[in-house]
Amino acid sequence: MSDLARAVRFQNVHLAIVGLIAAVFIVGVFSSDRFVTVLNIANVQDQLVALALVALAQTVVILSGGIDLSFAGLLGLLSVLFATFAGSDPATFSAAYICILALGTAIGALTGGIVAFSGIHPLIVTLATSTIMAGAALLHTKQPSGSVPLFFEDIVYARFFGFLPWGTLFVIAAYVIVGFVLWRTRFGIRVYAIGDDERAATISGVPVRLTKVLIYALSGFIVALAAIYLVGRFGVGDPRAGIGFDLRSITPVIVGGTLLAGGRGGVLGTFLAVILLALLANVLNFLNVSNFYLWIVEGVIIVVAVSLFVVRARS
Amino acid sequence: MADPVLAARGLTKSFGSNEVLRNVDFEVLAGRNIALCGENGAGKSTLIKLMTGVYTPSAGQVLLDGEPVAFAGPKESIAAGIAVVHQEFSTISALTVAENVFLEKEPRNRLGLVDRRTLRRDCIDLLRQLGIDLDPDTTLDRLSVAEAQMVEIAKALRSRAHVLILDEPTAVLSHREIDHLFRILRDLRGQGMGLVYVSHRLDEIFEVCTDICVLKDGDVTSAGPIADYDHDRVVAAMVGRSLGELFPPKSGPASDAGPALSLRGLIAEGSAAPIDLDLRPGEIVGLAGLVGSGRTELALAIFGAARGSGAVELSGKAYNRRAPGRSLAGGLAMLTEDRKANGLFPETSVAWNFAASTLGKGARALALAPRSEEERSRSVVERFKVVVDHVGQPISALSGGNQQKVLIGRLLENTPKVLLLDEPTRGVDVATKAEIYRTLRRLAEEGVAVLVISSELIEVVGLCDRVHVMRDGALVAELIGNAITEDGIMAVAAAATGGVAPRPNV
Repeated sequence: MSDLARAVRFQNVHLAIVGLIAAVFIVGVFSSDRFVTVLNIANVQDQLVALALVALAQTVVILSGGIDLSFAGLLGLLSVLFATFAGSDPATFSAAYICILALGTAIGALTGGIVAFSGIHPLIVTLATSTIMAGAALLHTKQPSGSVPLFFEDIVYARFFGFLPWGTLFVIAAYVIVGFVLWRTRFGIRVYAIGDDERAATISGVPVRLTKVLIYALSGFIVALAAIYLVGRFGVGDPRAGIGFDLRSITPVIVGGTLLAGGRGGVLGTFLAVILLALLANVLNFLNVSNFYLWIVEGVIIVVAVSLFVVRARS
Repeated sequence: MADPVLAARGLTKSFGSNEVLRNVDFEVLAGRNIALCGENGAGKSTLIKLMTGVYTPSAGQVLLDGEPVAFAGPKESIAAGIAVVHQEFSTISALTVAENVFLEKEPRNRLGLVDRRTLRRDCIDLLRQLGIDLDPDTTLDRLSVAEAQMVEIAKALRSRAHVLILDEPTAVLSHREIDHLFRILRDLRGQGMGLVYVSHRLDEIFEVCTDICVLKDGDVTSAGPIADYDHDRVVAAMVGRSLGELFPPKSGPASDAGPALSLRGLIAEGSAAPIDLDLRPGEIVGLAGLVGSGRTELALAIFGAARGSGAVELSGKAYNRRAPGRSLAGGLAMLTEDRKANGLFPETSVAWNFAASTLGKGARALALAPRSEEERSRSVVERFKVVVDHVGQPISALSGGNQQKVLIGRLLENTPKVLLLDEPTRGVDVATKAEIYRTLRRLAEEGVAVLVISSELIEVVGLCDRVHVMRDGALVAELIGNAITEDGIMAVAAAATGGVAPRPNV
């Protein structure tokens, strides 16, 4: 099969992460008899859905050689708007749902347009748009407010067989679809081409600017899904819902073996890394370790992971 | 003779007041391979760009199958069956061979999805037809440069082409790889394709081409069947003057003074071979070898811009903690081979570029007299006859030759005792070349020790008093006086390499 080519490259990374997941799991088992319970397993999944979605968005952007730091502002703004307009019946809910997805996509496309046509580094562009949206969200409401219909909360909290939330199935579907898009569409090939060598892509006729607009639009769309999920989970729209998600979305991408410089990597590594990080947070919790240590651990993981890739790239 | 597939009639191209191509006639015939020769800046690329729609001619016509055409861009010329393999690679190392060959032309099914199976099969078919043995699923970063070049050719020929233009295709290939390339080219010619082979390597041209067209400073100086030419006639047409006019007479043997620069067991980073080398005041020493033989790395290690271990003596004094700033202070200056990336500050003025390694020179009490850099640079502009409107102009507006003069002027401001010059005449016109050679000889006569790294064998032979040949990071031979010949250098430089090292320009 020819689709082995890109996947095989990171097989070692995938294996390493799976090994780490197993190790953390074993530590979890010994740390508490509440670890392997239906409740806790569902809980870990609830924790990872939003992160998994934003990390998926970030993976595509980073594969193309860019970076998107607008998630904090975007999640906050979309979440308060959704909670404001979702109302309490299916009709208003559906309208708000579609509008929020469209708005997220449009904001992403606009961001991508600025990145593609201005030549300003995406780091600066997306930080700026994030700040603008965070300000707009806080102007709209300073406190968590609004609501969603009860049936939506019911869906978010429903579990198959007691341990499998809708959110997980949703995340898996999203990863499969994006993975498929990267593999089987011209857009997907363009993402890798631009991320690896924008100059060569340009002379090969790749529409670099259009592709960038589409990439950030896709990112905005996926982040809108995450915003809607967060509102469903907390029952309100929170202008601060996205705080921290900008940098946290990058960790699993890097840990999962996608090159920060672009062109190499994929969604499978990100998916496994998200599971690893969520499990790690959960186990540290059982070990009564402060959450702030998790920040330190995540930071160390990023530095170590990036150094490993640098060393490997040199050899 | 048959009608040409592609022809240029009286093509002229000007950029502003600068006429880079004058009234050029050029014909590509089916089943023939025409060499397009000329020095850098002679107008080869401009002619290619005019015929493929990248540029619009200022005057004249491009004819395809006898009909005048005006391509609005490369897409149109490609659609018309003119394939170009550019010197600059367009392959993407993260993608597979098949993805690269069919980038933006991927076969798609009814749903618009890339049909991976057809993509793979089309690639295998195309590679087989071209006699290229590569796995379509390998990513390009696993291929050698030569294999990437093959992918580049396959990519150019993925849609039906009548004309294939190759721009300096062998710049990075080894002998064996070039043989493979030539076999493919002969096949294509046999299939009735018209080929254009842009190069200034004469032995290759004589081996693979059937016709030749020589450009010099925008004019066709000579054209005809290759059988009517020999080496000297092509060189004379390319250079426009005899070699005696190009190079100043060599000096006698170097003085008895102790070496200005002395290397003992110097190992550049990434190399395994320790280097011993002495440069005496007053001599011009050439460092010849294939691209990738470690010449630039050695120079960078001496200069302190790259790491290296071993002993260096500069004017008799140990110089061990090497760094560019300390080198310049100690009278050791270096000219980079990559002017654009490492030499110029492209958007700043000629004056500032000139003064970049001696900023603050002439300052009194930390204050620089207004316009002092401009005044200093003006003297260089006059001395080297740099063509420039005013020294406040950004240096990127100058031609390659004039930029190089400013950079050499910059080096001389440091009053060096040792000069390391990496490809000092790359991208420079003939007149400027002659001027640079004269300047180097004069400096040598004034007692400067000069080391010239060059891939232009004509230059090494014509300019240097002594030549060291480098291979795989080691100095493998020293040639002196009449022993310095192109054949002599090539015999050593290309001997017994692993088949990966490319050849120098001839």
